[in-house]
Amino acid sequence: MNDLVIATQGLSKSYNGKPALRGLDLEVPRGAIYGFLGRNGAGKTTTLKLLLGMLRRDAGEIWLLNAPIRSEMDSVAARRRIAFVTEEKELYPFMNVGQMIRFTRPFFPTWRPELEKKYLDVFRLPLNLSVSKLSKGMRTQLMLLLAMARGAELLIMDEPTSGLDPVATEEVLQALADLAAGGNATIFFSSHQLTEVEQICDRVCVIDDGKTVIDGVLDDLKSQYRRVVLVFDGEPPQSVASLPGVDHLRRRGRTVSLLAHTDIDGVVDRARELAPVSVEVHAVSLKELFLDHVRGE
Amino acid sequence: MLWYKAWLETRWRFTFLIGSILVVWLMLLWLPSLSSVPASRQWVGLQLGSVLLYMFAAIYLAGGGINSQTLYAVTSGFHGSMLFTLSLPVSRRRLLFVRAGLGAILTCSLVVCMAGYILFRRAEPVGALQSLADIARAVVCTMAVYALSVLLACVLDEMWQFMGACLIWFAVFLLGSRFAPVARFSPIRGMSLSSHPHSSATPWAAVITSAAVCVIFTCSSILILRRKEY
Repeated sequence: MNDLVIATQGLSKSYNGKPALRGLDLEVPRGAIYGFLGRNGAGKTTTLKLLLGMLRRDAGEIWLLNAPIRSEMDSVAARRRIAFVTEEKELYPFMNVGQMIRFTRPFFPTWRPELEKKYLDVFRLPLNLSVSKLSKGMRTQLMLLLAMARGAELLIMDEPTSGLDPVATEEVLQALADLAAGGNATIFFSSHQLTEVEQICDRVCVIDDGKTVIDGVLDDLKSQYRRVVLVFDGEPPQSVASLPGVDHLRRRGRTVSLLAHTDIDGVVDRARELAPVSVEVHAVSLKELFLDHVRGE
Repeated sequence: MLWYKAWLETRWRFTFLIGSILVVWLMLLWLPSLSSVPASRQWVGLQLGSVLLYMFAAIYLAGGGINSQTLYAVTSGFHGSMLFTLSLPVSRRRLLFVRAGLGAILTCSLVVCMAGYILFRRAEPVGALQSLADIARAVVCTMAVYALSVLLACVLDEMWQFMGACLIWFAVFLLGSRFAPVARFSPIRGMSLSSHPHSSATPWAAVITSAAVCVIFTCSSILILRRKEY
């Protein structure tokens, strides 16, 4: 588990007998900005809560910062070095911004006052304003400040930019990128915003129905995968569905779109044997990769 | 800092309780018709009022803060600020200890002040030792009510915790008024001070039951909170 900030093996969790995670394997290397993607209900939030000890796992193993998490005390020790930004961005409504900072600071011996000051300025958060009066965007910024200033080695974020306007989103993404670039912080964040993930993440994992369907370095994935688009002059032949080397296939009228990541030339050659009127090969975006893997045919 | 957070969460409840007591006390002082009520009936009224106050304080101060959930939050699957709290490097046992501990301290301080005032108002003077024993008894028995309320706060939303605790103690009161054995062990009996005008024997059965209930419910709360999923 060297240099892995998060590792899970066979992580499983069910709610009332309904599986949410089915043997999830994750490996997040130190220093990565790791995008954790999936549809609603795919198991993203369940995974984050399992990592932080908010849920109990049914099966599997978790390692955080190279240490196994087998008891509450293991989890408490790991959380000293971890920051979590929740999806709802709920903080204590009975405190103001300054009180929230003063409350959080003593829990973390590695608190960095210079980052606290920097992000107070960047996010323009007034110290005396009550948390109950903050907009969702400001609550997100305060939560990010509390997460980043604690000097955590791992930041776990659940939809960190949800509810933010484009300017605030950009500020947050920039802050995350700066943090990752400036030290050994690893950022693990779940999101539905594929363009944001593509903008700042160097690795991605897509889960669907509680299992990993894609995992790897984003640039490698984008260079490995190709879309092969076949256009036929009539109904596409049934044999197109059984072409070897094809990961996913979509049909729309006379057009068939194939996604492949190994032996692209072989796939193209075999596709030509089906006599399409045209064959085109395209690079794929993260969005296409995501949609093909979670929708399939 | 957890004590500071717990105080911020509880301070308005505590202020509300103090304010309510003051209002009732001032009203009683200014009611001219009260002076015509015989002292023994005044004493019974004071006892009944104080027991109700102890129970209300115990139930009210135990609510909120442990789960930090609103009804909206529970029904929509959110957990309010609890997820932020759980992400801190603090065990759940310590979270419960601090939150319930502060509520217990505030409840005890109210009981001690009220019981002390009532003893001061007692027509027949009693020894300091007896007064202290009476106050300690009221505190132990009130803590049984508090421990049950904390347990309910660990499993129920705030509104249901309050209503559930009220219902349970109302049932205990009714059963106690019908069946003597229940009354003997009931914490409610232990909460009231010695009868007027002569001191009765200390209700040890109620005190021991209350202490046992307190330990059992506190341990149960810890176990429930440690296993609870958010």
